[in-house]
Amino acid sequence: MLEHQLIQSTGFRNFGPVGAREGFAVRIRIPNYHGTRLSQLDGFDVTVDGEYFDHEVNSFGIRDEVYTIAEMREETTARWGLLEWGEILVRKPGGLAPGVHKIEVLARIRYSYFPPDMHIFPMREERFATICLA
Amino acid sequence: MGSFKYGVSTYSYVNDYGSIMTLDDAFDHIADTGATGIEILGEGQVEGYPNPSSAWLDRWFGLLDRYKLEPTNMCSWVDMRLTLSRNLTIEEGAAELEQDLRLAHQLGFKFLRPKFGVMSHDLIPEANWEGYVERNLDLAHKLGIVICPEIHAPTPIRHQVVDGYIQFIERTGTKNFGLMIDTGIFQDRPLIHWGSHQITDEMRAHMDFLNGIRVNPEELLDIAQYVVFVQAKFHDIDEHLEDQNIPWKPVISALKRAGYSGYLSSEYEGLRAPWRAIDQVRRQQVLLRKLEREYDQGMFA
Repeated sequence: MLEHQLIQSTGFRNFGPVGAREGFAVRIRIPNYHGTRLSQLDGFDVTVDGEYFDHEVNSFGIRDEVYTIAEMREETTARWGLLEWGEILVRKPGGLAPGVHKIEVLARIRYSYFPPDMHIFPMREERFATICLA
Repeated sequence: MGSFKYGVSTYSYVNDYGSIMTLDDAFDHIADTGATGIEILGEGQVEGYPNPSSAWLDRWFGLLDRYKLEPTNMCSWVDMRLTLSRNLTIEEGAAELEQDLRLAHQLGFKFLRPKFGVMSHDLIPEANWEGYVERNLDLAHKLGIVICPEIHAPTPIRHQVVDGYIQFIERTGTKNFGLMIDTGIFQDRPLIHWGSHQITDEMRAHMDFLNGIRVNPEELLDIAQYVVFVQAKFHDIDEHLEDQNIPWKPVISALKRAGYSGYLSSEYEGLRAPWRAIDQVRRQQVLLRKLEREYDQGMFA
């Protein structure tokens, strides 16, 4: 099962070759009360220890696929289920040091049934999370 | 005089589901309240939506049988703003609705609540909704399903949204389209929490509906013939069975006098925290049954 909070403990990790990490991943559950097609997500802003990474540059991985923001915005077939996790992939050469980091995610989810001016709805959560391996 | 039927929506458990509650647990909690119906979110509880595996279907029917619950309503969404650059066409929107009708039927549901895209702050649906629905009326009839958009705060009963739905029913003569009432429209005292947060003065200033739109329950009598399902929205019931936001006595009275004998499907939407909804739903089930009994015994009118 998933952890209750948006940002999961497990899955907060560096990616890329050991010694030459390309960035870090933040595992999250869907920031919504139901599943949606991926085009209903408009990306994720991430801030780690005060360093900001914009939703226009972060990628998203689910199952065995990775989507850029442009690809995700047009992905109307693949879906994200309520019980599945996905991960935000943040490019940061060298990755993050092992230890505890303050991490904030602002998920931009689209609701067609919200008024037009607020149809991209921000959902923000922050927590401390731990990178285990360099 | 008919009796209400009692159900529970899995939406109530949104902060439990998937982290401290499985589908099997949800069935157990719902059945133990004495409810006979289960309402679900299609793209929520149905794993592999929109094409669940045969293993999942076996599990679904096994749970219905084991817990003796009847599928009531399945919630769905018609995502008007398909991408940032384009909206659904009428044909695509109709296909979305068709897909959900077929899934709902496969799972044994009798009602389907589609959530249409909206164009304004008072939730006026996109014009294409009529096209989506009209193209599916024959199918809904064949499958024995009633399509029922919900009347939800901040939209009151006396509003062009409701008038539009009623005009559609009158024009087509259909029995497969009706109104779902979300009892949040009767809320007459302010909410304390919104989501997982305490409501601030600033939030109240921007979202007046948090204070309740206070629809008079008597207005149910004007539209009763079109009402097919009730989502019994609530937020907080204390240990004395006093609901802090929804005035149930006049609501139950109006539903009774309107001759309503369909489902009251518990929909908890209070403080978003795990382990809270399970007992809140139990309290509401007891409260609603008690009020129905008291009404039937003439203890209030």
